Amino acid sequence: MEGFEDIQPLPITTELPDELCRIMYTDEYKETMGIARALIQKQEYSKRALDLTAKAIGLAPAFYTIWNYRFDIVMHMADQDEDAARLLNGELDWVDETTLNNPKNYQIWSYKQALLERHPSPSFKRELPVLELMISDDMKNYHVWSFRKWCVLFFHDFTHELSYSDLLIQKDVYNNSAWTHRMFVLKHSNPDQKQIQLELEYVKEKIQQVPQNVSSWAYLQGLYENFLSGSYDTSIVQFAQMLTNNVTESPETAQTSWPEIDSSYALEFLATVYAKKDSTKKKAVKAYQALADKYDSIREPYWQRQISMLE
Amino acid sequence: MASIPNHAKHVRFLERHLSLLPGSQQEHDVNKMAVVFYSFTGLMALGIDVAEKYRSSLDWIHRHYITIKLPGWQQTISGFTGSLSVQIPGVNTVSLPNTLFALLVLKLMKDETFWDNHLDRQNIMTFVAKCQSPENGSFSSTLDYKNLKPSPVDPKDLRFCYIAISILYLLGCRNHNEFARHINLDKLLNYILSQQCEMGGFGSYNEAHAGYTSCALSALYLLGKLDQLSDEFKERTISWLCQRQVSREGCMSLLEPNANYDHDDHGGFQGRENKFADTCYVFWCLNSLRILGTQGCELPARLDLAEQFLLHRTQNTLIGGFSKNDQDDPDLYHTCLGIAALKLIEGSFDGVLFMPKNDAGLC
Ligand SMILES: [Zn+2]
Repeated sequence: MEGFEDIQPLPITTELPDELCRIMYTDEYKETMGIARALIQKQEYSKRALDLTAKAIGLAPAFYTIWNYRFDIVMHMADQDEDAARLLNGELDWVDETTLNNPKNYQIWSYKQALLERHPSPSFKRELPVLELMISDDMKNYHVWSFRKWCVLFFHDFTHELSYSDLLIQKDVYNNSAWTHRMFVLKHSNPDQKQIQLELEYVKEKIQQVPQNVSSWAYLQGLYENFLSGSYDTSIVQFAQMLTNNVTESPETAQTSWPEIDSSYALEFLATVYAKKDSTKKKAVKAYQALADKYDSIREPYWQRQISMLE
Repeated sequence: MASIPNHAKHVRFLERHLSLLPGSQQEHDVNKMAVVFYSFTGLMALGIDVAEKYRSSLDWIHRHYITIKLPGWQQTISGFTGSLSVQIPGVNTVSLPNTLFALLVLKLMKDETFWDNHLDRQNIMTFVAKCQSPENGSFSSTLDYKNLKPSPVDPKDLRFCYIAISILYLLGCRNHNEFARHINLDKLLNYILSQQCEMGGFGSYNEAHAGYTSCALSALYLLGKLDQLSDEFKERTISWLCQRQVSREGCMSLLEPNANYDHDDHGGFQGRENKFADTCYVFWCLNSLRILGTQGCELPARLDLAEQFLLHRTQNTLIGGFSKNDQDDPDLYHTCLGIAALKLIEGSFDGVLFMPKNDAGLC
């Protein structure tokens, strides 16, 4: 291979007897891997070695040792460079480009974390645009969201997060990652009671827009449990009753015809609240029965289990 | 259900992955052991005796086992690589997931000779122990290629915690002291517990994920440490898991405006809230529910509908195999997980160890 004439390749083993999953490797693959393997063995830390790892990663992105070796090269270069920050930024640029070309590559996130941890002057500002691009590309990508949360903690910077989660919730109110991100941010930023009230209004508005949404109901419950010591007041109970056509409030315990309601999650929420007190347990049973009979019948075995646990 | 329909097609689909593969499969070169593992497990669950059929490949499988002690190392480690292509003399390339895959493959092959005479349990356990992060107790998928520390660039999460514990279990660890002899068990337990999510389930930063949930619960089960979870959290997790079964009935039909909802997913399981159902999450959710269920009690979920989702929606009746949904082509991972889920429902699959029951041979 050009530029590597002095390297004796370490060819990959293939065509063994009774080999399983034999692959018809391309010449490019055999040649690149042969040189990459030889360089790893020699532990050559050079610009040409760095370039070759990029090629090898393109061909075999799951080859962890190549990533490990590339990182080693970069660290050696950074040690010798007067401007380590510039060099590491260049590497971050390379990863971002690789990431955008292959977003399912799971190695990149931990690789980026390792780079940022060793960077003399890491910047969240630098990370934000690529994170936004990645998330707008795949709005529920678990790895990208985890990386964003890692960044927020690493940089101790929560300033962009509430407005960012709001933006995504506006785009798609069903985006569970955006909702859990919002709760994560809130829990780390010591909100006062005024802010909690604002959040309550925020989530109630989203629930009114789309009442059948597990993510917004979970957020509502999170607000009460994390910040309001789990005491559900009359106003929130009435809010849920309104979305359930008051089915829990009529005196009969069982019904043959249940009315239409807006949200099974509202009903489940009521059941959870009612199950806390002996005086309202009957209503909880009724809510579970209604869920089993009509509003969420696929989970009939689960609702029956809830009823038997109350009795 | 005695046998899965289109049995012969599924067998052929799985066998194809073990034969000559085109260059387009090159990117899977480094994980051949995973390919062998998923194919063998699927075949075995379908009643094919892989020990008999692939006996002549044992030699090739054994070649993936390496023992290594680099200059300056105090200890020797052993384990498996995912491919011969990653073995480089003088460089440590042992992989934690591929070590588990290979051990399970040897079990399926009933290879007692290699197990008893060639595997160095102590060396493998040393390798596993070195993968544990001294900072937070979780596990990395591999070590640094030069020293006995977790790789600086590899992910560390619940998947690798489960894999580490499963390896130690297969090598004979059975109780607190036996695990704690090799790894920092308290730190690991703290890490696993730190991944609990408010609404039930496990995941990073409080977003629960069915795959991570299954890993966490399976690891705790093998460690005999399910009692570390509070009753309240167990209940929340059962609720969270049951809620992952997608439905078109009742209020659930109001979900139509959600771009990630399809009422034809009815009966299938999703990995997270408000997402499409997917073959593999039937397995991860049901395995988790089974671990949390009391013995003899039926699971509080509609297994019949889950089975129908797999058979009528994600099974490919033309070329065999299962896909994640009704759109994609079938792939090896979802084929193995789909078959495993059907066998789990039937009661003939050990979901914690990920092995067909009664065929394990060794131990
Ligand atoms: Zn899947």
